[in-house]
Amino acid sequence: MPGERVEHKDRLLDGSFVVRWTREAARAIHDQRDYLTQLDAAIGDADHGLNMDRGFAAAFGKVEGDGDRPPGELLETVGTTLVLSVGGAAGPLYGSALRQMGRGIDAATFDAEGLLVALRAALEEIQRLGAAQLGDKTMVDALSPAIEAFERGLRSGRGLAAAAGKARAAAEEGMRATIPMQARKGRASYLGQRSVGHQDPGATSTALLLGALERASEDEA
Amino acid sequence: MIQSVRRASAILRELGSGHRLGVTELAERLGLAKATVYGLVRSLEADALVERDLETGKYRLGPALLQLGNAFLDGHELRARSLLWADSLAGRTSEAVRVGVPSGLNVLIVHHVFRPDNSVQILEVGAAIPWHASALGKAIAASRDDETLGMLLDGPLAKLTGRTLVDPRLLRRALVAIRRTGIAVEDQEAVIGEAEISAAIFDHDGHPVGAIGVAGPVERLLPQGSASGDVVGAVKEAARGLTRDLGGVRRFAGHR
Repeated sequence: MPGERVEHKDRLLDGSFVVRWTREAARAIHDQRDYLTQLDAAIGDADHGLNMDRGFAAAFGKVEGDGDRPPGELLETVGTTLVLSVGGAAGPLYGSALRQMGRGIDAATFDAEGLLVALRAALEEIQRLGAAQLGDKTMVDALSPAIEAFERGLRSGRGLAAAAGKARAAAEEGMRATIPMQARKGRASYLGQRSVGHQDPGATSTALLLGALERASEDEA
Repeated sequence: MIQSVRRASAILRELGSGHRLGVTELAERLGLAKATVYGLVRSLEADALVERDLETGKYRLGPALLQLGNAFLDGHELRARSLLWADSLAGRTSEAVRVGVPSGLNVLIVHHVFRPDNSVQILEVGAAIPWHASALGKAIAASRDDETLGMLLDGPLAKLTGRTLVDPRLLRRALVAIRRTGIAVEDQEAVIGEAEISAAIFDHDGHPVGAIGVAGPVERLLPQGSASGDVVGAVKEAARGLTRDLGGVRRFAGHR
């Protein structure tokens, strides 16, 4: 297509990609902090936006300017910071997931296929900790379809940024699909049918993180 | 069973989903004729058990239910007696306090005192938590008779997080330890990041009628993985005090 940049299929990602992702995530979460809190107030403790904002700001502080560090190590740093600084379920879930991503990347660079493997490891970790399945009204409802879309995007050969765009769109669709669901995991599940009609805050922050991944994939600056 | 009462109850439960539903929708959901549903909702409306939204013509739950719910709570002796103990426990531990009673395979929260730190918290009174994923539920279960315990362990035992105990043998073993120590701990078995420490409350026959406990972030309640002696002591004291107020006796350890 004219005007469209065609990426090299084997584009390599390094530590600076992880730093960009963390920066974009911190920005997106900060911008949407009140929205996340508002969603959480309907079915939770109204602390998701504040917690995530604090956690990602701290995490970016830990890796800013460290683009020459190994990417796996950076992901582990971000994950550990989230575990320590985000309260509630989100800190342990996102933090452990990012740490798991980092553990699977031991070279100085990785490619889009490596990112796919790491994202799958993140989903597996979240499901191991939370025992959540699709349809339970959790972050899994955004992350799982996003990973499938990412894989389809890569297989279509359009490159990382396009695949990350597909992943973001699928995550947003999955996020909206949580609205009519009844929560079967987390504190929202105590509310039973009262959780119906509200968008899940965790699925929403997951969609924001995938939007950040898309921007990190586009932006080489 | 009286069919119309069951049907009226089914209508209330459908509306309990928080949806506003019209007569046609209710009739579809319940598989009843529209005329039947119309008669039932009009009768419920007369007693304010449901009310009709003037704009949409759809039905929702009515204000009389709040009064009934409050009457249920007010008439609950354990809840009434627990108010002061729960406040004092929350003050001593600086954590949220919950009081629960057994309700089938769940523990029903009948009283909840917020963590006294002015943070936004959600009232959990009325929440039904699977017994095996809750310190309150496990504290109660540990002192139930063998028959009831067998029924509880038969489940179903849902996995709420990766840490929920769902193996009946492991649960039984955990209950033996709870019975011995008089304290039940839940470590992120219901909600990730949350923990609870609780003890059972007994009636005059030594049957567990409920439990009281502190609930909160796992890093505060279980620093280094276990509960502090102060918190355990405060929870036990509240449970003992409540048992005494109810004229109850704790079945001594090793009774069975």
